[in-house]
Amino acid sequence: MHASPIIKLGGLSIDLSAVIMLTVTCVIVFVLARLAVRNLSVENPSKLQNFLEWVVEFVHNIVASAMDMRKGKPYISLGLTLILFIFVANLLGLPFAIVTDLPADTKVFGVVLEPTKDLAPGEHSDVLWWKSPTADASVTMALALMVIVLTHYMGITRNTKGYFKHYIEPYVPFLPLNLIKEFAKLLSLGLRLYGNIYAGEVMIAVILGLSAWGIPALVVWQGFSVFVGAIQSFVFVMLTMVYMSQTLVHEEHH
Amino acid sequence: MGALALVAAAIVFGLGALGAGIGNGLIVGRTVEGISRQPELRGTLQTTMFIGVALVEALPIITLVLAFIFYGQA
Repeated sequence: MHASPIIKLGGLSIDLSAVIMLTVTCVIVFVLARLAVRNLSVENPSKLQNFLEWVVEFVHNIVASAMDMRKGKPYISLGLTLILFIFVANLLGLPFAIVTDLPADTKVFGVVLEPTKDLAPGEHSDVLWWKSPTADASVTMALALMVIVLTHYMGITRNTKGYFKHYIEPYVPFLPLNLIKEFAKLLSLGLRLYGNIYAGEVMIAVILGLSAWGIPALVVWQGFSVFVGAIQSFVFVMLTMVYMSQTLVHEEHH
Repeated sequence: MGALALVAAAIVFGLGALGAGIGNGLIVGRTVEGISRQPELRGTLQTTMFIGVALVEALPIITLVLAFIFYGQA
C-alpha cells in the first residue's frame, strides 16, 4: 500500500494529497458549472446547460420526496453542491494514480514528509499524490460532520420546540437511544462513502497486480466504480435531505 | 499476532459478506415482486431498491475496510 504525504504543521497532521485533490475537485466542479451557464438560452440550450438542468431537477425530486417544497426550497442548492462535488470526487481516483518514490527526509514547504522520516539513506518510500479525496476517511467524515451539524443547527433555529421534543419521543427512556442515533447517523454517513470509494481503489490496485491478465477485469471494475460513485453521491444527498426533514418537520405525533 | 490478525480479517469480512448477501437478496427479491405486481411503478421501485442496497451495504463495506486494516497489520 502507498503512504500518504502527511506533514506536521503546528501540532496538526496535514495530508497534502487530500488538500491537493480537494482543490482539484473544487476547480473541476466550478469550471463545469461556469461553462454550463455561459450563453443561457431557453429555446436552444447547450448540451451542458441541458445536463445541469437535469441534475437540478433530479435534486429537486430528491428534496421533494423528503419534505414539503415550501420548507425544502433552500436546500436544493445544498443538495446540488453536494451531489456534484461528491460525484466528481469519487471519479477522480479512477483514471490514474500518481505515485512518487521519495528518498529519506524529503521536504515540502520546508517540512519533512512523514513517510520519509525514518528511512535509511538508500531507501525510498512510495507516496501517493493523486487519489479520490473521498477515499480518505477524514474528508468523508468532514462532509458528514458538516451535514449533521447543519441539520442540528437548522433544527435548533427553525424548529426549536420540535427539535428538543424529538429527543424524548416517543417516551422519555428513549433519550439515550436518540442520542446514540445521532452519532450513528454521523458515523454511517461518513463511513459509508469512505468504505465504498476506498474499497474500490484497493480493488483497482489488486487487479493491477495481475498485469496484462487483469485488463478485462479492470474494464469491468472501472465501469462498476463509476456506477458506485454515482449511487453513493445520490445516497449521500438523499440521506442529507431525509435527516434535514426529520429535524425540521416534527409536528406530527406518531 | 500476525496470524491472528489474518483470522480476524477473514472472520470480519466473511460475516459482513454474509449479511450483505442476505440483505441485498431480500431487497432485490421484494423489488422484483413489487415490479411484477405493478409494472408501471418500475422506475420508482428501482430507485428505492438502489437506495436500499446502498444503505444495507454500508456496514459490510465498513467490514471490508476493517479487513484491510487487519490484513496490513498481519
